[in-house]
Amino acid sequence: MKNIFLRTIGIIMTGLVVLNLFVMISGIIISDEINNFEQKTDKLHKINLSLEKEVASLNSLKFAEEQAKEFNFTNSSAPQYIDQLKYAQR
Amino acid sequence: MKIKFIFLLFIAFYLAIIVRLFFLQVIYSPANKGAYLKTNKLYPIRGRIYDQKNQSLVLNQNSYQLYIEPKKVDDKDKLLHLLSESLEVEEASISAKLDMSKYWVAIAGGLTQEQKDKIDKLNLKGTGFDYQTKRFYPEASLSAHVIGFLGKNDQAEDVGHLGLEGFYDRDLRGLPGFVETERDILGRPILIGIQQRVEAENGRDLILTIDKNVQEISKKRLLEGLDKYQAKKGCVITADPKTMAILALVCLPDYDLEKYYLFNENFYKNLAISDLYEPGSVFKPLIVAAALEEKKIKPNDTYNETGQVAVGEYNIKTWNDKYEGKISITRILEKSSNVGMVYIGEKLGNKNIYNYLKKYGFGQNTGIDLEGESSGYLKPANNWYSIDYSTVTFGQGIAITPIQMIRAFASIINGGYLMKPYLVQKIVSDNKVTEIKPKIERRILSQMTSDIIKKMLVSTVENAEAKWDRPKGFAIGGKTGTAQVPIKGIYDASKTIASFIGFAPAAEPKFLTFVVLYEPKSSQWGSETAAPLFFEIAKDLIVYYGISPSQ
Repeated sequence: MKNIFLRTIGIIMTGLVVLNLFVMISGIIISDEINNFEQKTDKLHKINLSLEKEVASLNSLKFAEEQAKEFNFTNSSAPQYIDQLKYAQR
Repeated sequence: MKIKFIFLLFIAFYLAIIVRLFFLQVIYSPANKGAYLKTNKLYPIRGRIYDQKNQSLVLNQNSYQLYIEPKKVDDKDKLLHLLSESLEVEEASISAKLDMSKYWVAIAGGLTQEQKDKIDKLNLKGTGFDYQTKRFYPEASLSAHVIGFLGKNDQAEDVGHLGLEGFYDRDLRGLPGFVETERDILGRPILIGIQQRVEAENGRDLILTIDKNVQEISKKRLLEGLDKYQAKKGCVITADPKTMAILALVCLPDYDLEKYYLFNENFYKNLAISDLYEPGSVFKPLIVAAALEEKKIKPNDTYNETGQVAVGEYNIKTWNDKYEGKISITRILEKSSNVGMVYIGEKLGNKNIYNYLKKYGFGQNTGIDLEGESSGYLKPANNWYSIDYSTVTFGQGIAITPIQMIRAFASIINGGYLMKPYLVQKIVSDNKVTEIKPKIERRILSQMTSDIIKKMLVSTVENAEAKWDRPKGFAIGGKTGTAQVPIKGIYDASKTIASFIGFAPAAEPKFLTFVVLYEPKSSQWGSETAAPLFFEIAKDLIVYYGISPSQ
């Protein structure tokens, strides 16, 4: 009877130690994941700001003006057809 | 014996643990708290600012602050040399900041990702970076005075100054949060330990009534105008006259928002809301409208303009000292007759003049949502002399701001409603959109008076003494103004403030634009400087809004 009791206690203790180890290792793995996610979130936040900046720059009047100058839009589209429609109809 | 030995071994083992825990939790606790209990402030992202079409005017960008821990530095000279090359600043200026007796010294803020990466590659011992954000202006200084800038307070915290940054600082700033976690020696969170996180509440975004295209047109034209008419400074304000939603507000000279600290504080002043000046003849329609409303004059009335008018010891004359005999009320506006206005003022009466000045909102803040507004000055009624009542009818002897002028003018062409001018139409937070509706302060004039004065103002443009290059086929109303500048109580004839206020299309005005040029040298007259500049802007706006010709 005593032997059965001691064995049961031994098995429970061993089980608890294994469970403890499992919980500890799982905790470390999850902590690592949390750490990684925190870093990724920070990185994404920074990338997001950079992309927002880039989009706004490409959408700005400043950029449009630079592009218009580069492609010579202002010089080659003199608006003379408004007064002299015959040119537009040719 | 063996059992006793094992028992003592366990006791010793537990004692060692207790002593270690005592050291960790009691003796080193306060000093080492940060090693396992990590509390970080979570900084909110400052609100962004967009124009009426959701085009960005102000965003945030990544930025880094370079710091040095002097106690960890091995070779100071090498460090200074390499940092000087990377940051493109003199070694001496870095050296001046680097106090070797300190543990931590900030060296340079506002560094870009590229600059940080460049310094990182140098592997300099004792250097590090703190992450920050800073403002980014995709349209550069297109709306400098409207936006204001982000500076620092005594505690080195970001604080908005002037313009929208100043007025909406509390909305834009947001609320900081914090995160408190127990961490192991490798910095990983301990799951069964303290985990507390209060998220930061990001600043609210502002959606403006400003249209960046109208702003660009106004700024470009004003810049050309200042150059062409050799004016000292100038402003252009464009608003929707029905609501007083500001579509563009530009004053020059302005300043670089990114490098605001390089500019003298005189450049920060937004002339449109804080500069007091005497408006001159652009003021006349306000008095004519008041007299029509009070039925003291009728549109078809005539005035016999025979010559100068004496008021007390002063003689009032027309701008060119020429007189046309019998003229209509409309003609008084067309030829901008000062003596005609004195007649209308007398008809209206001193008490009514003063009451209408108050009704139009002079001497009071307009309540525009920009920091730095001045209320102007309307002296108490008992301090007014009879000459004051005469000169105010043609806009001299009263100090107002350009925003007060355009607001009062809007009221005479929008059916008589004095509106509160505003620049922000929506405030957007993470979970809520607050719309700001146009606000009627009071009704001053009837629809009939408003319709009559609009017709008179169209006629004023069409039959003015000066002939302008106007867009053909469009009914445009407006009035010129040339005000003398008082210097130490005496008017200097050579220095004027030239202005023009106009609207189009006359039937249903889409825009009301006020142009003010300070001390133009090419000509002192509003009709030869501000008016042509207005018509240049009007031409662009007519094309931009796709307004069809009506005549």
